[in-house]
Amino acid sequence: MAFDPLSIRSQFPILAQQAYDNPLIYLDNAATTQKPLSVLEAMHNYYLTANANVHRGAHYLSDKATDQFENARLRVAQFINAPQQSQVIWTKGTTESINLVAYGLEHLIQAGDEILITSLEHHANLVPWQQLAFRTGARLRVLPLTSDAEWQEELTHYFTERTKIFAVTQVSNAIGVHTPIEMLIQQAKQHGAFTLVDGAQAVAHYPVDVAKLDCDFYVFSGHKMYGPTGIGVLYGKHHALEVLMPYQTGGEMVSKVSYQATEFNVLPYRLEAGTPHMEGAIGLAAACDFVDQQDRQSMLAWEQQLANHVWVTLQKAANVEIYSPEHNATLVSLSVPNVHTLDLNAYLDSQGIAVRAGSHCAQPLMAQLGVTGTLRASFACYNTLQEAERFCDVLIEAIDLLAEE
Amino acid sequence: MTIKQQLQACRSKEETFKALVSLSKSLARLPAEEKTEEHKVKGCESAVWLIEQDIDGACYFKADSDAKLMRGVLVALLNLVNGKSKADIQAMDLANELAELNLGSYLTSSRSNGVLGILHAMQN
Repeated sequence: MAFDPLSIRSQFPILAQQAYDNPLIYLDNAATTQKPLSVLEAMHNYYLTANANVHRGAHYLSDKATDQFENARLRVAQFINAPQQSQVIWTKGTTESINLVAYGLEHLIQAGDEILITSLEHHANLVPWQQLAFRTGARLRVLPLTSDAEWQEELTHYFTERTKIFAVTQVSNAIGVHTPIEMLIQQAKQHGAFTLVDGAQAVAHYPVDVAKLDCDFYVFSGHKMYGPTGIGVLYGKHHALEVLMPYQTGGEMVSKVSYQATEFNVLPYRLEAGTPHMEGAIGLAAACDFVDQQDRQSMLAWEQQLANHVWVTLQKAANVEIYSPEHNATLVSLSVPNVHTLDLNAYLDSQGIAVRAGSHCAQPLMAQLGVTGTLRASFACYNTLQEAERFCDVLIEAIDLLAEE
Repeated sequence: MTIKQQLQACRSKEETFKALVSLSKSLARLPAEEKTEEHKVKGCESAVWLIEQDIDGACYFKADSDAKLMRGVLVALLNLVNGKSKADIQAMDLANELAELNLGSYLTSSRSNGVLGILHAMQN
């Protein structure tokens, strides 16, 4: 059965507004998605009925808040098929999750070790590793993954006995390409490296099974999967989480403190210093419910159909360079020869269409593509075919207005 | 119609867009050798180059950008400041002047286009 975006659109009242007298068309979902009413209500209800500091359980509200907060952890663990809820660490988002791992593993990294990433990484999955390499004398290596997914045979040469960490995105935020993570994770494991998967662009679209992926760490943000901002997740295998040195210390993460020494608390609390983002965690659990209530296969097929429609239309009708794959992507990333992406963006904006123009926090990738930036239209479950068509029409208008000279 | 009248007549974001495209055509482009790192304004996602010249105590700027709308904004900005003394330019509320030209959104989205960086470079 085909997915009907109109059936869920009413759950996203923000989309009903006008932008400069045009119907708002929101195609910047890879940056952040909008939130359904159920997520907003979950957070609202938390403050209306349950707010208290968690894990201090000496009174009615604190017990209630702690229950809801820990149930949210359980819900997220189920969402990604983590074996135990203590394997879900709350963070601010993907960026903090990666930094937590990069600092937490530092004590195991020595000069001459290698940290391997891919050429598709967002700055968040690049800079923390580069800085770790600078601090330790390790070498940062970059596995060249091309946009047309022709994975090079020699990629096995990038995995060596010195590879200590392999960090890879599941889906490129900038161009929508999938990486063959199962195969890459197996390669990394054969060389004894820690593996981290950046799932920021995957969780809203694809069912995630961390047990099956068999990675050591899996990280994502709530706000890119219909959840609130400021909450994210670090999943880890128990032994992998156990070796992380806490990079923040303070309350909640300790079990015994004297002026001479501190005994750290058990997982997951050991890695969660300070009062956590309670309503964020509860909102993220509601977002997991929202996503799981959909027919995920047809929802994904719908998003891919929208991206494919744009891909095919523009390939035919306009002088564009498209960097995303024709099939199986949920976004389209493109540039127009001799027209600045910011100019295209400005015209789309004047017509009420929200997209993203720029380097998408992936400057090395842009340099490899030979552009300073691209224009990216990214789709979510609430986008309609009319919106995708309107985007194409307006982009073609913009090219006509801007391309002369 | 003056540049000010042209821009103030715009009643929508789309009209401002078209007016800036039209203005951009009157900008004298810089030759490649003048588009140096030294002349580049920091913080702009589109590349912007700004060159200041002092002629008998009056400031004259030349500028260019790789983005067309930014070239339109530069035409409007140069029109505001060229020929004035540095002290006069420093005394101007350029952000406010741009807002009066319907270009206020170019300030609020300054993170991506860096107009504030251009104003700063003109006043310092």
